[in-house]
Amino acid sequence: MTDPYQILGVTRDAKQAEIRKAYIRLAKSNHPDLHPGDKGAEARFKEIAAAYDIVGDEKKRARFDSGEIDASGAERQKPPEREFYREHAEGHPGFKYEPFSNGSGGGFEDSDLFTELFGRRGQRASAPGADVHYTLGVDFTEAVLGAKKRVTMADGKTLDITIPAGLMDGQILRLRGQGQPGHGGGEPGDVLVEIHINPHPVFTRDGNDIRSTLPVTLAEALAGAKLKVATVSGQVQLTIPKGSNTGTVLRLRGKGVKSRSGHGDHFVQLQVMLPKHPDAELTKAVADWEARHPYDPRAAKEGSA
Amino acid sequence: MMTEAELIEIMGQLQHEVLRRWIDHGWVRPELVDGAAQFDASDVARVRLICELHYELRIEEDSLPVMLSLMDQLYSVRQSMRKLLSAVEAQPEDVRKRIATLMQTQTRS
Repeated sequence: MTDPYQILGVTRDAKQAEIRKAYIRLAKSNHPDLHPGDKGAEARFKEIAAAYDIVGDEKKRARFDSGEIDASGAERQKPPEREFYREHAEGHPGFKYEPFSNGSGGGFEDSDLFTELFGRRGQRASAPGADVHYTLGVDFTEAVLGAKKRVTMADGKTLDITIPAGLMDGQILRLRGQGQPGHGGGEPGDVLVEIHINPHPVFTRDGNDIRSTLPVTLAEALAGAKLKVATVSGQVQLTIPKGSNTGTVLRLRGKGVKSRSGHGDHFVQLQVMLPKHPDAELTKAVADWEARHPYDPRAAKEGSA
Repeated sequence: MMTEAELIEIMGQLQHEVLRRWIDHGWVRPELVDGAAQFDASDVARVRLICELHYELRIEEDSLPVMLSLMDQLYSVRQSMRKLLSAVEAQPEDVRKRIATLMQTQTRS
């Protein structure tokens, strides 16, 4: 325990009356029952009371000054833990000393502030309108490029919805104030539109990137080629390098989704296709070639027998 | 529960007629059982607090009702605040966030 004079903020030669004055001032401004929201008040109040217990009494003070007792020694003689009023007044609904209630319960909830918010008989004075939920299916390219959609709600109201470019599947658009009207001057609710993106036969989304598969012939794969491929923003020419294989991925830079979060690319994965009905000529030509140039495509792959 | 005599005994400085006066003022509201006052734990704690304010901290009796009234209002407000907070706590996350945001914007304005 620290020095009792220090705790009370008085000098060692202070008069008893001065010490008493300091104690009363500190005890009033730290009394835990008068400061229920202040967690430290109880500890401070007890420290102040313990300090005053020593130097507030002239005889004890003399013994303390002469070193006969120390601050903590005197503290041990203090009565056991005391109980504060706030332990009763806090956290007990319908506590008997609650004002405003006039013995009928209610307490502060019947006072002006809460009446304003909830109404006296529990009815709401005003309430915001309900939100309306709606699901909207959009095409793949509409979600990528952005679009405007006009929809008719259940109540016959039409809404114009702007689909921002780069919208993701499952994203929710909030149209503020377009929901149910409020009650008693309350704000109207919102319309929440959940977007479902219809799948595309060729394209798939990977964040801001677009992926597609491009079938190529044996000759195109072997000799290379320039081919037209579809992207979300129209056809472009793609150069297939000589000796491309199934699984080769080519990048069309900047041909992906242009959203607020950035621009993506379009990745084209090649798939080498045999003709639908390979004939004897092709089979023989390839088999002859392979007999002279054997190769094992599984050699480097782990786990293949 | 405690009788008036038992309460006077543990309070030290408090005298019968002073306690009677406090009860008349409504500062302490014991239960009356067959005409005799019965003090529950909260009454006892309240009497102890009033004694402390008056005898220890030298607050005049004339000032006590002002102090007690403000204190009772404070505890009542805290009680209601706690109810309101648990009602807010039971709301979904986005509602709690909206309330927090609104409270912040009101603090700034």
